[in-house]
Amino acid sequence: MTITHHPGDELLLSYALGASSEPVSLLIAAHLSFCATCRAAVRDMEAGGGALLSDIEPAALNPHALQSVLARLDEEKPEPVRPAAVAGDVPPVLRAYVGNEFAKAHWLKVAPGLAHLPLLSQDGTKARLIRAQPGAVVSTHSHRGEEWTLVLTGSYRDETGTYRPGDVQSTTPEIFHRPVADNGPVCINLAVTDAPLVFKDLLPSIIGKLFGF
Amino acid sequence: MERPLQEDAARLNGLVRAVGQSADRAAFTQLFDHFAPRVKGYLMRLGASAAVAEDLAQDVMLTLWRKAVQFDPAKASASTWVFTIARNLRIDAIRKERRPELDADDPTLAPVHERSSDENLDWAKAEERLRRALVRLPREQARVIELSFLADKPHSAIAAELGLPLGTVKSRIRLAMAQLRNALGERS
Repeated sequence: MTITHHPGDELLLSYALGASSEPVSLLIAAHLSFCATCRAAVRDMEAGGGALLSDIEPAALNPHALQSVLARLDEEKPEPVRPAAVAGDVPPVLRAYVGNEFAKAHWLKVAPGLAHLPLLSQDGTKARLIRAQPGAVVSTHSHRGEEWTLVLTGSYRDETGTYRPGDVQSTTPEIFHRPVADNGPVCINLAVTDAPLVFKDLLPSIIGKLFGF
Repeated sequence: MERPLQEDAARLNGLVRAVGQSADRAAFTQLFDHFAPRVKGYLMRLGASAAVAEDLAQDVMLTLWRKAVQFDPAKASASTWVFTIARNLRIDAIRKERRPELDADDPTLAPVHERSSDENLDWAKAEERLRRALVRLPREQARVIELSFLADKPHSAIAAELGLPLGTVKSRIRLAMAQLRNALGERS
């Protein structure tokens, strides 16, 4: 499987350093389960985090901290053994949100051939699954903020190209597109949208400029 | 600032293994002295109060004790491993979020084709090369990397803080990452 559309260094770096929100982290982690190249990149970025931690200005702990931690060591239980993997077609990293099988999830119909499954929402950033039957069309649209779409099964195409399992399409507000699910397996995507309203409260003018409002 | 040498990275790896293999409290004490103040400093730079950072730094050390048996120096240096523990506990405790993360041992993961020489990569040495490369980065690239590390914000907010277009921040990240990867790629 060849992945041609990657999330890009800035999203990988946010994930590796712990700055990305949970919906974005979910998208990145799910992409990583398809993409060995980006997994290696995240590992390198974490090594950068380790190097920066080595050089950070230390902050002295409470004088009794070591004694109190040593006293607690005996209470620490060893890590539980991971349960054996259960069968299912959902990538393991998504199972806490979706369940083990796509077919058993509580899909909501939105249009002919189209259904969605909201997963989580956080400060206006939302993650959901979109399921498109072969030939299903999402009408021409643009986005108020950024949107990232990761293909989990099947494939779709739009004005910018074809997207297959593991590919991430990044769209910005200036892009209008009309995605169509290809013939073949049903197309299931993980879509994360980043609504600009969240940023408006914090940084209205600059974000407004960035997003062209 | 104190700049421990590569031998220190190897020494720290050995200490974590001693904790994992024989629950060595003397080794744990040395790890505590090295890492706990750095983790507390990191958390405070990210905006945690001294009290919260103190509690979390202690929790990070307890997690280190519990998970030391899983530490694999072929995958990461001790410092990188502790960094990931601190990162995840902070997300859990301060942001009250889950951290979606892969199980590295999941057999369904696509195998690594690129840089399979990683299996032989000495991460303690790699960390030292990385630190030298971080120091050599042009100032504007180093700033973006530092802010990524020390700001709990998306890059759009970092761009705003620096008064730069997001595209400029993204291109600086790409340039900086290319140099850091080169540094990691110099196998010795």
